[in-house]
Amino acid sequence: MTHLTLDKVSVHYDGQPAPAVERVSLDIAKGDFVVLVGRSGCGKTSLLNVAAGLVEPAGGLATVDGRPITGPGSDRAVVFQNDALFPWLTARENVAFALRLRGVSADKRARRADELLSLVKLGDAGDKRIWELSGGMRQRVGLARALAAEPEFLLLDEPLGALDALTRERMQTTLLDLWAAAQVGVLMVTHGIEEALVLATRIVVLAPGPGHVVRTFETHFGRRYAAGEPIRAIKADPAFAAARAELTDAIFEGEAA
Amino acid sequence: MSVSTYSERPAAKAGETDGLSVPWSRPRPKRAVVSARLVSAITILVLLTAWTAASLLQLVSPVFLPSPAAVWAKIVVVARDGFVDATLLQHIVASLWRVFAALVAAILVGVPVGLAIGISRIGRGVFDPLLEFLRPIPPLAYLPLIIIWFGIGEPSKILVIAIAMLAPVALSTAAGVRGVSRERVDAARSLGATRAQVIRHVILPSALPSILTGLRIALGAGWSTLVAAELVAATRGLGFMIQSAAQFLVTDVVVMGILVIAIIAFALEFIIRRIERVLVPWAGRE
Repeated sequence: MTHLTLDKVSVHYDGQPAPAVERVSLDIAKGDFVVLVGRSGCGKTSLLNVAAGLVEPAGGLATVDGRPITGPGSDRAVVFQNDALFPWLTARENVAFALRLRGVSADKRARRADELLSLVKLGDAGDKRIWELSGGMRQRVGLARALAAEPEFLLLDEPLGALDALTRERMQTTLLDLWAAAQVGVLMVTHGIEEALVLATRIVVLAPGPGHVVRTFETHFGRRYAAGEPIRAIKADPAFAAARAELTDAIFEGEAA
Repeated sequence: MSVSTYSERPAAKAGETDGLSVPWSRPRPKRAVVSARLVSAITILVLLTAWTAASLLQLVSPVFLPSPAAVWAKIVVVARDGFVDATLLQHIVASLWRVFAALVAAILVGVPVGLAIGISRIGRGVFDPLLEFLRPIPPLAYLPLIIIWFGIGEPSKILVIAIAMLAPVALSTAAGVRGVSRERVDAARSLGATRAQVIRHVILPSALPSILTGLRIALGAGWSTLVAAELVAATRGLGFMIQSAAQFLVTDVVVMGILVIAIIAFALEFIIRRIERVLVPWAGRE
């Protein structure tokens, strides 16, 4: 079983008086869906960037199966809030990007890209240019592009943050479908409390000043969806409402109302 | 109203999130564009009329200002019989060849230099002061030095133009490279791209719109250096034609040369804008 582990990781940016994150430990196994929530400035994105290898921790250790993370790598593909797609490529070529870097032949990578596009329900959009796609479609291309790298872990930095509420709702189930299909471990940062509950197998609540973990919830709503229960029924479950209240309390704990 | 009316506009909604262009809000009055063109047309017409009137009424001696008809007649004559041993077409070709050879040289040097400025602190430290030193010097000032160093042949002429083009190409490339979105680079790196692959597959294409803008500016700068470049020991070229004509006080050829230079500059600008639209259709749409 592959593990992505952050062990007592601190992040301190140059020129900042205080660290952004202090001694946070996380463990994500393949098959986990870990969601980081918390108020602004609690270091969610910093932790994700440490896992991605984009930020070097000031203290502690980030490892994949015991090997220290020294930089970004295709075993940990990142999807950002703004899709960061390449507008000079078609949707298909964007998805095939990681394969092109590896020197996979043109028709092989086109075939694989088309498979992944169908997986994110964009099977007929392969020839579209990026600016012809809506925000939700772009984000799905971004997810397919990350999966093409065949990562062990997907790191999602507020991937649905720029979408409108309805598209967001639909993308949540898309994410769960992908997670189940691709057999990856997911680390995701979000501002959405309901989103965290719907998706996560584990929710880690962070608080600022400097960023630290205040609580960890094990949740099961995502797994219930994966097992076939409709998403509306899950959200209508009183247990969902109760979990939501508890999570909200944890996030705003210690903050004057 | 049914829901389907909303779902009918997804294409227009594509650009919604960037908040920059919302095409359907505040419809732009189309008249404004037309009338700006109209004003331009009228301005040109008035100037032509004034020019014609001035020469018809002989307000100005033809030595100083030949009539439009005389200039037109001269274009026909020079196109057919030539002036100073070359036809108009031969002069144009000679000048265009120099400018495009210089453009190729400026791209070969300027794009890598701009890339170095944009991605490396050492590159910026080395090349930034050199470019800032070179940029404000007028071509006529360094022309003598180039002739001393490289003689009076064709390479010197191309070099004079290329130097004028270098700064715009390099600085636009550098600006484009620095403007590449951090997330785009990080995304590529997390997909397994090496440093060289990031440059080749992300930074250069991202900077391409800016590089093409630099080429457009460089062509303008190079074209306006033409007369200086053809000052010494040229036997052909538009700049040479104008200078020869000036020495013999053949004002109609001078005016004609100026007009031809202006028209070609306009045509080059138009062509490169077309090329931009084909090569970087995403520019301004992200």
